[in-house]
Amino acid sequence: MTARVDKLPHVPLTGADCFLRAFDDEIRRKAGANHVSQLVLRLGPGFDVDLFQKLIDHVAHAQPIVRAPIGRRFAVGVPVYRLNATSRCAMPGVHVVDADSPPVPGSKLPDLFAKHLNAPMSAKRGELLRFDIVRYAGGAAGSDLAASWLHMLFDGSGSEIFIGWLDACFRGASTPEELPCPDELAPAAPPAQTLRERGDGARAWQNWLRGFNAHPPHSLAGPLRRTRQALHYARLQLSAEQTARTVETAKQRAGFLTPTLFYLAAAIRAHHAVFRARGTDPGSYVVPMAVDLRPKGAAKAMFRTHVSLVWFQALPEDLDEFDHLIGVLKQQRLAAIKAGQIETAVHAMDFARFAPKRLYAHMSRNSFRGELCSFFFAFTGDFLAGVDHFFGAEIRDGFHVAPVPPSPGSCLAVSLRGGRLSATHAYQTGAFSARELEIFGEQLYSDLQG
Amino acid sequence: MAAPTIEDLTAKVFEILRDEILSAGSDFSARSNLIDAGLDSLAVTQLMLSIEELTDVWLDESLLTAESLESAETLATLIHERLAEA
Repeated sequence: MTARVDKLPHVPLTGADCFLRAFDDEIRRKAGANHVSQLVLRLGPGFDVDLFQKLIDHVAHAQPIVRAPIGRRFAVGVPVYRLNATSRCAMPGVHVVDADSPPVPGSKLPDLFAKHLNAPMSAKRGELLRFDIVRYAGGAAGSDLAASWLHMLFDGSGSEIFIGWLDACFRGASTPEELPCPDELAPAAPPAQTLRERGDGARAWQNWLRGFNAHPPHSLAGPLRRTRQALHYARLQLSAEQTARTVETAKQRAGFLTPTLFYLAAAIRAHHAVFRARGTDPGSYVVPMAVDLRPKGAAKAMFRTHVSLVWFQALPEDLDEFDHLIGVLKQQRLAAIKAGQIETAVHAMDFARFAPKRLYAHMSRNSFRGELCSFFFAFTGDFLAGVDHFFGAEIRDGFHVAPVPPSPGSCLAVSLRGGRLSATHAYQTGAFSARELEIFGEQLYSDLQG
Repeated sequence: MAAPTIEDLTAKVFEILRDEILSAGSDFSARSNLIDAGLDSLAVTQLMLSIEELTDVWLDESLLTAESLESAETLATLIHERLAEA
């Protein structure tokens, strides 16, 4: 079945999209940037830039959502992608830079990738997606590619589906007119719950968060203040042997299906090591974790965000024993699912569709006195599973750089590619000193090694 | 009430997975691999909650392995063993 969306006048944002839109707006107002996420590929020789450029143009015509202005159709109502208003919107940019020196394995990434995490994009003008490519020796020695997108157009999982689909189009296994999930832009089914039930759910979620206030969190960057966003990132990559050990340890200690909690525990302890070195009080560690809501076992939607949130809180006394911390997180995860927190989070985020962006962001920060949480965390599992090449070039390595507002100013994204574990730490410059970044990396490495 | 047999449990686990948790195609059967069919940690927890409602026994996720999630049949066998111990 083919899904052409250019016939649709508009597509509504999901509740999670609007939740992110509120923080994108906050970053724009307070920090002069946007909530931009990045997917990085390190490619071998053979990447066909010309075909890539042509295909992106073709995709932008066939699927105008990638350059559709986002806004409310009227003063009130749900914000939408205005698919019928793209005539004045630019195509997604494909920017190529040539570099002479070939990259060595594990070498530093081009600085311009970090730069584009902090470059403004405009949802109102349909600036949602751009690609930056650095070719080494004209591409003969490989290329680095960064896809940067406003973190509403995709979530992490959606961005991987998109990249896999682009390559399927390149290989002729799909076409720009044909989406992997044909129904993904169809109008959503009306919610099963009444408005009152959804309101009760949203309140229950808010009350759950308020329960954390006995020990409110303090982020390493401190409460939000007006400052220029200056995200940078550092990456820890384990060898294949280390990764095999770590993956096995994570399954044994946190559970076969919940190794995420092992990585989350390591992330909490890495932040705690910095707090201890600083001699300041973290209060507690409050961390949200995204839960993928896409139907299990079905074709996956790529555009828009399809997530709910589960929140964790760990007290400093829970952190001394690594296994104890994992146990605390496991209990909290189970309690959250049993209490229906995943559903109530959806209801709470759904209200962001109708609330003014500024009010929604203010209300979210108000719960923790100007803080949003301690830090962001994501474990995305196997990165681009089953995709070995991209436009003719071998994918040698790849990972996500997850965005974070200047407060909390720290985000750890963990994934696996080619049998190697990658932990990418995005941080607001100034939130960590050089020595604190070392302490963070040392503690993380030590815990990942079990 | 008599304890459910492995066959009863297999049928129930399969029904819950097919109707409530997975968006699997018509080729999904009690012998299909659950991980391949899209089962993840959230889906497993939802399944365990349904099993708990049915049997009053909570199957801790730490008991789950690649082998026990091979299919609805192998998972039902694990639940049956746990019921026998309870």
